Amino acid sequence: MKLELTLNGHPCTADVPAHWTVLDLLRDGLHLMGTKYGCGEGVCGTCTVLADGRPMRACLVLAAHVRGRALTTIEGLERNGRLDPLQTAFAERGAAQCGFCTPGMLLAAKALLGENPTPTADAVREALAGNLCRCTGYTKIVEAVLAAASGRR
Amino acid sequence: MTVRLYPFQLVEPETLAAALDAVAGRDGDARLVAGGTALVPMIRLGLVKPDRLISLHRLPELAAIRRDGGILELGAMARLADIHTAPLVREGWPLLAEAARRVATPAIRVSGTIGGNLCYAEAASDPGPALLCLEAEVRIARSVGGRTVPATDFFRGFYETALQPGEIVTAIRVPATPGGARSGYVKFTSRSAEDRPLVGVAALVVPDSSGRWLDARIGLGGVAPTPIRARRAEATLRGESPTDAALRATAEAAAREAEPLSDLMGSADYRREMIRVWVRRLLTMLRDGTRSS
Repeated sequence: MKLELTLNGHPCTADVPAHWTVLDLLRDGLHLMGTKYGCGEGVCGTCTVLADGRPMRACLVLAAHVRGRALTTIEGLERNGRLDPLQTAFAERGAAQCGFCTPGMLLAAKALLGENPTPTADAVREALAGNLCRCTGYTKIVEAVLAAASGRR
Repeated sequence: MTVRLYPFQLVEPETLAAALDAVAGRDGDARLVAGGTALVPMIRLGLVKPDRLISLHRLPELAAIRRDGGILELGAMARLADIHTAPLVREGWPLLAEAARRVATPAIRVSGTIGGNLCYAEAASDPGPALLCLEAEVRIARSVGGRTVPATDFFRGFYETALQPGEIVTAIRVPATPGGARSGYVKFTSRSAEDRPLVGVAALVVPDSSGRWLDARIGLGGVAPTPIRARRAEATLRGESPTDAALRATAEAAAREAEPLSDLMGSADYRREMIRVWVRRLLTMLRDGTRSS
């Protein structure tokens, strides 16, 4: 099955089996390993990517369903060698420990800030409700998103 | 370790007629797929092994959210996120907007569709009880003619709907919310906030100028093989004043007419107790105006 899509701002073509999900396409078809496989059931959120700016569970969506769409993965979050303000805030505030949930956290947060640039702490918690972290807890993650939103360092 | 989906063929029809042709083919086990948020995990877990998936994603006309006179028409492929953010729905059918917003998490609502939610026939559906209260109808297409089924008849049993082989749900039609209605949806989850409800309660009441309730509708999710209307509980309120004692009696009636199961989320007894609590709580909030939509 041939696919054309936009990946991290660049045109991309792939030829993958029809039963592959977006996660299979990214990791095994395109060798982008930043998007993680966690539960495979849409619960844990670590495979979250953006499709046309909105959050998507890469493990749940068939690769065919992103034909022609614009995907953003964690590899595409930095631009011209500069980290996204969310990435900087996560790093500076210790919002990552083992790092496995981090790509999904960052992309879910990116989707939130795209829709609501000045979220409340409650809005951040709601946006990240589907992203599980089993190391640090969520306090620093929420603080980092709020800091990135307000431009605080 | 990555568990790949059991292989299947994928058919991507570009017209409804072609989709109906594809589902009419009786060879092997074919399944319709909309957003995939329910079907893909079932395939991954080996609960179903379809050899053919028929995707509806190339039928954009099925994703429309529009008004048809006084009726809200949701295409079966309308995304839950688009339903709860659409001004048309928020203003005219706030109960549905509120229930759609409570489904799982943001990323699931962006992919998941209203038609898929109904066809999955999960007893603990969030939109299900709201659509029952709003007396929605399900539009079904088939190769010859079509039919319309009230939502109450669409849910037939545990993960079972009225949809027959060769048919496709194309739209959900929702009559106008009654004038002066107050409505709300609450869900109680026993594990995490974004989980499916242990008990979900939708209610719509129409007070008159003296405070009596001319109409009272209560939908319940997670407490029977399908989402249900608690009709005996409703009957205790219609034309009555919603006093604290009346609301307690209504909640008790709702707990009695439910047929809850025990599962990993909670026992049947616990579900009945939570029906008592949450039906009373929601109706009290609607009465007092501390929550209304």
